[in-house]
Amino acid sequence: MMLDSIIRAYNEAVFDTDRDRALSVVREAVWQGCSPEDIVFKVVIPGVETMMRAIAEDFDSNLAQHFMTAQIASQVTEEMLPLFAKPPKVVGKAVVGTAKGDLHSLGKRIVMGCLRSLMVEAIDLGVNVPPERFVDEAVAHGADVIGISAMMMHTAQGPEGCLAVREIIDQRGLADRIKIAAGGAPFRFDPYLYRRVGADAWAPDGISAGRAIIGLIGQVRR
Amino acid sequence: MITGMDRLRAAAQGSPCDRIPVFCNLLDQGAREMGVSLRDYYNSADLVAEAQLRMRARYGYDNVWSLFYVGKEAELLGCRDILYAEDGPPNVADFIIKDPADIHRLRVPDDLFGHPQFAPVRRCIELLRAEIGGRVPICAYITASMALPALLMGMEKWMELLLLGPTDLRDELLAKCSEFCAKEIAAYRAAGADVLVYSNPFGSTDIVSRRMFDELSLPWMRRDLKTGGVADMVYYCGGARMNRVIDGVIRALDFRSFYLSPLEDVAEGVRQVAGRGLVCGIIDDIKLVRWSEEEIRAEVARIVNAGKTGGRFLFGTLLMPLALPERTVRTMLEAAFEYGRLEAGAAP
Repeated sequence: MMLDSIIRAYNEAVFDTDRDRALSVVREAVWQGCSPEDIVFKVVIPGVETMMRAIAEDFDSNLAQHFMTAQIASQVTEEMLPLFAKPPKVVGKAVVGTAKGDLHSLGKRIVMGCLRSLMVEAIDLGVNVPPERFVDEAVAHGADVIGISAMMMHTAQGPEGCLAVREIIDQRGLADRIKIAAGGAPFRFDPYLYRRVGADAWAPDGISAGRAIIGLIGQVRR
Repeated sequence: MITGMDRLRAAAQGSPCDRIPVFCNLLDQGAREMGVSLRDYYNSADLVAEAQLRMRARYGYDNVWSLFYVGKEAELLGCRDILYAEDGPPNVADFIIKDPADIHRLRVPDDLFGHPQFAPVRRCIELLRAEIGGRVPICAYITASMALPALLMGMEKWMELLLLGPTDLRDELLAKCSEFCAKEIAAYRAAGADVLVYSNPFGSTDIVSRRMFDELSLPWMRRDLKTGGVADMVYYCGGARMNRVIDGVIRALDFRSFYLSPLEDVAEGVRQVAGRGLVCGIIDDIKLVRWSEEEIRAEVARIVNAGKTGGRFLFGTLLMPLALPERTVRTMLEAAFEYGRLEAGAAP
């Protein structure tokens, strides 16, 4: 199978939220001689970027597609990495969790899957994460970015969410070393909310969060 | 004196009235109104009813709510752990479905109306009816079968089951949720609610594909609603957009009232409904937190003007954040009353 047709078949399966078909396309491609590196860097990552463009252009994409894009990309990457000739270069590190008081984990999961496929080492802090723990874990793991997901207004802008993480980072003099990305429904309804809560970037959905976090990693590692 | 119910009926029938109906959804604000914590507030039907009456009387909008918090439905199905915050709505803290066996074990109560967890809701509606029954629409909130599993197992696990299967397990859960939904609709009607807001984010193509909407969402909604009709029900996608499905929802389910998303093109929503029912244009109450009075008035004017000309229109909010200052709520409502005024003889 030629690379172009692999990419097309994979993207179609992802847009149809058909995980089994997507996995079958890449497994067949590897069996026919396509390198695991090409699968990840020329099929999976461009696939995630295609979904990002679809979202940006409002091309009829939906939450189910975002979820499955991240799910499939993460699973394929996980399968391919042990087959690489040499370990790939990690782009950066991020710790990701939901804000204190927030138990909504779907967005975090999409972000995690997306980041892993984009070669970002993503550490899952779980849900209902206190602000001190976000910072402590980021420092302990040497993370470039703290990703905070909040699905409710009071967890997005309340005193124990992003605002508190910002305060701790500033108090400890870590602002140049650790950036904050925020996301979740309230941020989608108000694109300026991230500034009010002291985040460095935001994303309207879990897939686009991958790009936002990579942008922040670039700022830290510049 | 023209009442909220008069305005709603006029809007639904396209008959003349003084102004369009204005629905304002203040829930958590009731605790502040009564000077108690959110936990104490939501544990007393009398406090909830009293706060709903007081807030409506003070601001003059056209509806009241019998909804305590969305997790109440999970409590009716066995959830015993609710996470209370000081500055926002209570949430389900412990999901009752943790593994497939929990789906097999899930039992829908035979008598939902007589269920102890429904008693506070009944009491609240009873108190509301005694004070404003027939004059102000009493709203109730029903979570659709497709959305209810998110309250029982979390959205992440539900998306996984929905999209990855196994489909027999998914359908077993949906069947139980649909049975619950139908019983809940009947219970709210028996209790005396006037307007049933049927909430289904999975009824929006922002959440699922058009194919999944047609093949899964529509059939399950049809099953939820098969008894009793939808004359008193409002189609709502939990803040997600619905313009792309409105025509299909009217044709397949006969809904006649649509509560749009704040992200929606209001004029397009009115065009899609095409005089076949009511459309509610919604303000973005997250942006309200930072908007100036001028910005609020301009946004209310934009929404009302986009919808009012088409007739059969009302103005509304999502669940207003507790962080909103009282002055903001008042500014928004005064603008809605002003811009929503109708010429003599005009229909909303």
